Amino acid sequence: MKRLSFLYLALAYAFIFLPVAVLVVFSFQDGRLPVPPFQGVTLKWYEKVLSDEGLMTALGHSALVAFGSSGVALALGFLAAHGLARVALPGSLLMRGLLIAPMTVSYLIIGLGLLTVFNQAGIKPSLVATGIGHVVINLPLCFAICFAAMGDHQKSAERAARDLGASEVQVLWHISAPMLAPALAAAFFLSVTFSWDEFIIAFLLTRFEVTLPVEIWSMLRSGLSPATNAIGSLVFLVSALVVIVLETLMRRKA
Amino acid sequence: MSREDRLGWGLVAPALLWTAAFFVLPFLAMLALSFAHMEGREVVHGFSFGNYVKAFGDWSQLKALVNSIEITLTVTVLSVLLAWPLAATIAWSVPPRWQRAALLAAILPFWTSYVVRSYSWALVLGKTGVLNRGFGLIGLGPYEMASTRFATVIGFTHFFVMLLTLTIYANLVQLSPNYLRAAQDLGASRLRAFVHVILPLTLPGIVTGAFVTFTLCIGDYITPQILGGNNELTLPQLIMLQMGRGGNFPMASALSVILMAVVTLAYAACARWLRLDRL
Amino acid sequence: MTRRFSTNLTALALVLASPALAEDQLNALVWCDHTDPALLEPFEKANNVKVNVKEYEGTAAGMAILDQSAPGDWDVMVVDSVDVARVAAAGRLAPIPAEALPTADFFPELVMAAQNVIDGKTYAVTEKYGYNTISFDKTKVDPADMEDMAALTSGKYDGKIGIYDYYLPVLGLVGLGQGVATADLNAGALAGLKEPLMALRKASRQVSDVVSSQTALATGEVDIVVGGGEWLTAVLAADNPNLDWTIPKQGGLRWSQSIGVVEGAANPDLALKFVQYIVSPEGQAALAQSSCYWGMPANMKAGDLLSAEAKATLRWDQQPDYLARAQLYPIPDAATDTAMQDLWTEMLNQ
Repeated sequence: MKRLSFLYLALAYAFIFLPVAVLVVFSFQDGRLPVPPFQGVTLKWYEKVLSDEGLMTALGHSALVAFGSSGVALALGFLAAHGLARVALPGSLLMRGLLIAPMTVSYLIIGLGLLTVFNQAGIKPSLVATGIGHVVINLPLCFAICFAAMGDHQKSAERAARDLGASEVQVLWHISAPMLAPALAAAFFLSVTFSWDEFIIAFLLTRFEVTLPVEIWSMLRSGLSPATNAIGSLVFLVSALVVIVLETLMRRKA
Repeated sequence: MSREDRLGWGLVAPALLWTAAFFVLPFLAMLALSFAHMEGREVVHGFSFGNYVKAFGDWSQLKALVNSIEITLTVTVLSVLLAWPLAATIAWSVPPRWQRAALLAAILPFWTSYVVRSYSWALVLGKTGVLNRGFGLIGLGPYEMASTRFATVIGFTHFFVMLLTLTIYANLVQLSPNYLRAAQDLGASRLRAFVHVILPLTLPGIVTGAFVTFTLCIGDYITPQILGGNNELTLPQLIMLQMGRGGNFPMASALSVILMAVVTLAYAACARWLRLDRL
Repeated sequence: MTRRFSTNLTALALVLASPALAEDQLNALVWCDHTDPALLEPFEKANNVKVNVKEYEGTAAGMAILDQSAPGDWDVMVVDSVDVARVAAAGRLAPIPAEALPTADFFPELVMAAQNVIDGKTYAVTEKYGYNTISFDKTKVDPADMEDMAALTSGKYDGKIGIYDYYLPVLGLVGLGQGVATADLNAGALAGLKEPLMALRKASRQVSDVVSSQTALATGEVDIVVGGGEWLTAVLAADNPNLDWTIPKQGGLRWSQSIGVVEGAANPDLALKFVQYIVSPEGQAALAQSSCYWGMPANMKAGDLLSAEAKATLRWDQQPDYLARAQLYPIPDAATDTAMQDLWTEMLNQ
């Protein structure tokens, strides 16, 4: 039984890593096409990608949108979770439902809806428009994570602080936020991940300044090349490294 | 209104306003647009069910919805079936100190770019791709895998197995192994213990993960576009086609409303087990 | 928390403020071949400007982008030559002085006054062209077969054919196979194309965009691409000399793209300068070999700047024969266009 489950584990990992391995291996392809046979090792595609101004600018845009929209989503989500967890408001179930609702809607529809409204309002596609869309998709997530993390333990700590005369801002800043720090960090990190990788909203709502997934998409559409493998591998290796470092840090702390 | 209440509203208001302005309003605008129609190349606002009649009455349009539902259901079921044993193996058979690492490894390719991930599958599944080369070595194939529904399903499943492994694992580790032991002590067979104890307890995790899978899968444009070879259209592809080539925003809106209705139905079907706010 | 939040707000505010366009920027709505730095950089350096490009595909998508924009957002636009009249009629293109353009140096067929000039005013100028016909791997198919479109549905190549996913050229080609000239392709003629189109679909393995078609041809997924041409195979020619293309005896389609100045351009002088650069021999040579796809330059003088290999890949010497045998894209009215797209959707989703 045990042997069987480890065999399954091995097969599952093989399935999960197969495309990534192929991606990385053929980013070193010394030839024009990233398909077998493998023709030898070269670093020229990495060189090409790293000196590609369009790609590097898009990378910067992606980071800006990811961190910006995640910051806004986290702030809104944290405040809303705090409000709903603390005060028994009429219709609070409905409000929770409304805040969670975007989670059940396809990104394509969110993007299309925003495009329609922005068109009518005369707002031009831009990174800000994309950021607004990303807040819409990440707000439910941030709200849900913060809301789930707020327990009785925390409520009593907040009450104690308030009884001692702390203002609401002080309570939020000195009590709630530090107590929720792991949840806040997790929500922020997940939001950044989703926004960083989001394609369809960014595709519909950007114009000159595009994010990395959109840039990669146009790269893909203009021809098959190991350069696409190279940028894909770079993004993967860097993100994986960040994830592993974060995980190690968290473990050491725990 | 008490001070407390005012404060509560004050805290919730920004998030609510944001959601109203950038989620509810756009949806209403899209709904309104879905009743408009095209005259020549111009959008004419009005109230007509023409787009919906076409979406359901014209087989070439309806087929996209059918394809999407078929693909999504296949992917959802397949992903759950593959992810459950993976999550269980990690939770029960891997030594505790290695569990986090094993889980992390199982979801690491999550951090490749989504667009690139589908593209790598295209390279793997091609006629002269890595997989067919491998089959060739043992005297099999080549198999026609690229540009098929199979390729789309594989590309999707790859992504969602990672996602579901995460949600199911989170559910499983909260489960005390004592339950299983207790059931077995009481004379239940392994199978009975599984069906009557473990499965019901992990159901919320499975259903939540499956619902997220369903939602993300049915709304995705990239994966079928890159891997499906246009041998059939999914609903998002049809939406993009109507919008991009035809400039037919009303039809694209109507199809989007239909897509949203399907997801809402799926939500209703599994609402009693869903724990979206406890993800 | 607060600090991070405000930093983010600052960042957002900065982004918000930045699109205010400076004088020295040119906004171009283009096809993907115009995004090649090798094409843009010489112009940017010579005029000390920044060219912002946004690519689009299909005239409807381009018009939608213009609809979403305010006057002055765009300076120049690349458009399918057959759609110049449609875009100009919508008031999107500004007339350009004909004497500022070197059309005297063009291949005569590519001046295309019937498309680019309306009521005596020039609204755009042809910049690049090529063919939508049949691309194939000459080691896997009999090149002689490719001279007759009937071979595609003869059963010999079942499952080895890819179709380029663009309805206009492929429907045009299917029409030629049935003896319908592209100019006669109307709603009535369309009904007769359904059966041959479905037959072609049945014999084919996939219907896909440029990259997927290239990939499929390069990896042997398919041996033939219907709708292909030099634009599809030229990029691959260096690595795979077996890829070839031809115009069958029934004929082929000639695609061409024009460039014009957008009505209300913020910077009309610079816009015209850019158009002039693009149709100059230097611009033409760079555009012909652009990274996205290759194509013949409209300006014959670009020939002096192209290498012998590049000319061979583009079939420079065969142009007189090819130009004579190829027809223009169909120019459907709105109703026919919708009918064509519906037929295409039906074919995709059969």
